[in-house]
Amino acid sequence: MPSLYVHVPFCRQKCDYCAFYSHSLVESPRDLISVYFEGLEVEMAKRQKDAPQGVSSLFIGGGTPTVLNVNDLERLLAMIHRYFPIVLEAEQTMEGNPGTLTYEKIKLIRSLGINRFSLGVQSFNDQLLGTVGRIHTAGQAREAIGGLRNAGFKNLNLDLMFGLPAQDMALWQASVEEALSYSPEHLSLYGLMLEEGTPLYERYSAPSSARGFKLGNNIPRLPDEDQQAMMYEWAVKRLRQGGYRQYETSNFARPGFECQHNLGYWRGKDYLGIGPGGVSCLNRVRWKNIEEVSTYHNLLRKEQSPLDESGQEVLSLRECMAERMILGLRLEEGVHLKAFEHDFGADLRDIYRDVLERYNHQDVFVVKGDYFRLNPKYSFIANSILQEFV
Amino acid sequence: MAQASQRIRNFSIIAHIDHGKSTLADRLIEYTGALSKREMEAQVLDNMDLERERGITIKLQTVRLSYQAKDGQIYELNLIDTPGHVDFTYEVSRSLAACEGALLVVDAAQGIEAQTLANVYLALENDLELISVINKIDLPSADPERVKQEIEDVIGLDASEAVLASAKTGVGIEEILERIVTMVPPPQGDDQAPLKALIFDSKFDAYKGAISYIRVVEGRVAKGTTMKMMSTGKTFEVTEVGVFSPSMLLVDELKAGQVGFIAASIKNVKDTQVGDTITDADNPATEVLPGYRKSTPMVFCGLYTVEASDYNRLRDSLEKLHLNDASLIFEPETSIALGFGFRCGFLGLLHMEIIQERLEREYDLNLITTAPSVIYKVNTIKGEVLNIDNPSNLPKVDQIVSIEEPIVKATILVPSEYVGAIMELNQEKRGTYCNMDYVSTNRVRLTYELPLSEIVFDYFDQLKSRTKGYASLDYELSGYKETNLVKIDILLNGEMVDALSFIVHRDKSYSRARKMVEKLRGIIPRQMFEIPIQSVIGNKVIARETVSAMRKDVLSKCYGGDISRKRKLLEKQKAGKKRMKQVGSVEIPQDAFMAVLKIED
Repeated sequence: MPSLYVHVPFCRQKCDYCAFYSHSLVESPRDLISVYFEGLEVEMAKRQKDAPQGVSSLFIGGGTPTVLNVNDLERLLAMIHRYFPIVLEAEQTMEGNPGTLTYEKIKLIRSLGINRFSLGVQSFNDQLLGTVGRIHTAGQAREAIGGLRNAGFKNLNLDLMFGLPAQDMALWQASVEEALSYSPEHLSLYGLMLEEGTPLYERYSAPSSARGFKLGNNIPRLPDEDQQAMMYEWAVKRLRQGGYRQYETSNFARPGFECQHNLGYWRGKDYLGIGPGGVSCLNRVRWKNIEEVSTYHNLLRKEQSPLDESGQEVLSLRECMAERMILGLRLEEGVHLKAFEHDFGADLRDIYRDVLERYNHQDVFVVKGDYFRLNPKYSFIANSILQEFV
Repeated sequence: MAQASQRIRNFSIIAHIDHGKSTLADRLIEYTGALSKREMEAQVLDNMDLERERGITIKLQTVRLSYQAKDGQIYELNLIDTPGHVDFTYEVSRSLAACEGALLVVDAAQGIEAQTLANVYLALENDLELISVINKIDLPSADPERVKQEIEDVIGLDASEAVLASAKTGVGIEEILERIVTMVPPPQGDDQAPLKALIFDSKFDAYKGAISYIRVVEGRVAKGTTMKMMSTGKTFEVTEVGVFSPSMLLVDELKAGQVGFIAASIKNVKDTQVGDTITDADNPATEVLPGYRKSTPMVFCGLYTVEASDYNRLRDSLEKLHLNDASLIFEPETSIALGFGFRCGFLGLLHMEIIQERLEREYDLNLITTAPSVIYKVNTIKGEVLNIDNPSNLPKVDQIVSIEEPIVKATILVPSEYVGAIMELNQEKRGTYCNMDYVSTNRVRLTYELPLSEIVFDYFDQLKSRTKGYASLDYELSGYKETNLVKIDILLNGEMVDALSFIVHRDKSYSRARKMVEKLRGIIPRQMFEIPIQSVIGNKVIARETVSAMRKDVLSKCYGGDISRKRKLLEKQKAGKKRMKQVGSVEIPQDAFMAVLKIED
């Protein structure tokens, strides 16, 4: 049984670091949302057959799903329920931004089955929020957390970012401590990444002369590699003391509150991704929908497939194995040896013998019980090791 | 003597880089209509991509022009192009030996340069008729009178008749062609005598086999001739005879005085040795033509592939390049750090760079080049003299009686205001002053003896930067001199990396040892563990730096279901890392092996 992801490609305004596709609602006409819903319904009707027994979890992400108004949110959830039965007691997550959340919306989605909320707090410092173009304040985040708890959300995730311009250890610690004071069940800690095509990338990766010309000396400094590592390492330790388990490189949860939907991706389960930009993977075939909303809608209306130009990708056995490794080794539990052997017909220690030999003088890999895992002391520099598997 | 050869003129062009030789050649081709404008690629004769990009000529090229002179006769003009750089003196001497005349092209603003001078002397040795051409007279800074004076004072040629030209605007082109016809003597040589043809170049063609570029000195050669290589006695049947127009054009025969090519299904390019004489097996000549002095490689480096599995491809590629460039020599060597590779000898630094670049571009190889070295003569306590072209092969200190290093005689032409800067530089580079004279009121010729290893180090860059690019340099090997030299070894993570060892004068050893580790610390990226970098002389550590362990290397973003994106990001990062060589547990970027050249004294 696959999991279901539904993409809402709208934001009030894009954040400076974001490389995902989304439409700014400030600029988009209102009818783009109706176009989106029309397309979504056609796609759902078409994809229903891929989940004959329903779906194992639901994740509504974006963009910013909570930018939709109450009516649209109701319409969205009703549409999902119409086409995809969700397993009883399954995890149903919605992502949202504190600046777009109202108590009315919170109550509505709770009443319509959403039982986990992932809030993009990023920081509890207004100045830092400003440096990366977030539209909300720390106060709005506090309010949103209160509202979510009041409405009965018992599974709450807070996203926090480190490595923000002008952020130092003290500011980072303050944000983490405040987050902990709300006792969220789950925390995601993401390091800021400069991705090509984003305003932040332009600001920090353009030649220094151009930068100086544009922003003078007022451009705040980015924490360097060592500072970022210290922030991360401090947080890992602090959260462990606070009773959270680091079940994935960037994700921390109280026992029993690990994100089931994301674990599905990381353990190699099948999934459906509906909506513009949504990615699906069923039986080793992966496809990605086109991101632009009107094109998505037009293609579906003409009964064509809404895939983007890269079309669908038939994953080779080798690529599937590589993905299982690069995602699995980011999990605390590691890669399940028997599941790997069951899915690919060989022991991963045979398949990757050369990689294991290259590292056998170091304590990089650990086999514990049925699992093959990465020594946690390397988890923050895992890329160079994970590269060995691709 | 046959009448026809009276209307043949064989000439080459001598010029400094940038003085407009290739543009001038193009104008000559265009003027005589060998090619229509449309067919002219930017510059016809520089037909390697690399040559066009860098604006230099590396391989000599040949083209036949047909020109109707003012006397009404049609002349066959064979232009044999020459490289202008000091590294390629050998190629120049080959082209000159096939000619009776040469155009001496001098930039009207810059005047004579050191390398031009060297090539002029070569031409005079070959008894060539020289025609002075002062080019770029359209430039606002042109000063043809001063340049004429320089030609008279420095070379001793009468420059009053010099052609004033601009290859760019076409001024003087016709006059140059007329001068070639009237001043360059027609080739001597009897086309009824037994065949004697000089191979001045050769190239390998996958379909035709080895092709010889020849100047027929006596007799004639045609398709079907059984030709004989006089040095080896091997015979081949000629399958094709042709000329360069400038593309290869088949003709019935080539006879005394003419320049062209012949193919004879020769499988092995070694059978067409440049400088050899070809004769007719059925009617052989008795005496060979004077050949060439053999080129001597002066600079050596190790070439290794990043991927060990590419070794055979590297060998094949070197062999192919050697077919067209006999001055490139190579033999297998083994490095503990880099594995199997080749020690290669080059004419100079530019030659080395060009070979390396051609191997990477044309043969798609991912290479590691070690820092260039010269040949040291080492006298051992056993009384042997060892020639050491790889620093890591230097014997232990207690086995060495003395070390001698190659010394060159360097000629530098420079505006007089920079004399102080040049003297300072030569002082730093352990030079010995020989002579200084004025070639014109404001230009000076300095002669120094310099260790070749210092020239290899970073002499060119320093020379150019300290004189705003105005100085030019020419040098030739003058001998060997005993010097107090030591070898510096580099240890990474406690293990010696032989390919990073270098030899240096004892007085500079401490400062270079220290700067080398500083440089390497900047080049070697942070890795999973801390990497100490040490430089040692013998067993003594001179300097130490540390590359601290990597702290952050992770994709922290959650891409949801777009796992392909995540995988591709990792694939991209991995591909980036392929440019590095794994030595023991350390990954070393390619430029680390050249780091020693980038440290400044």
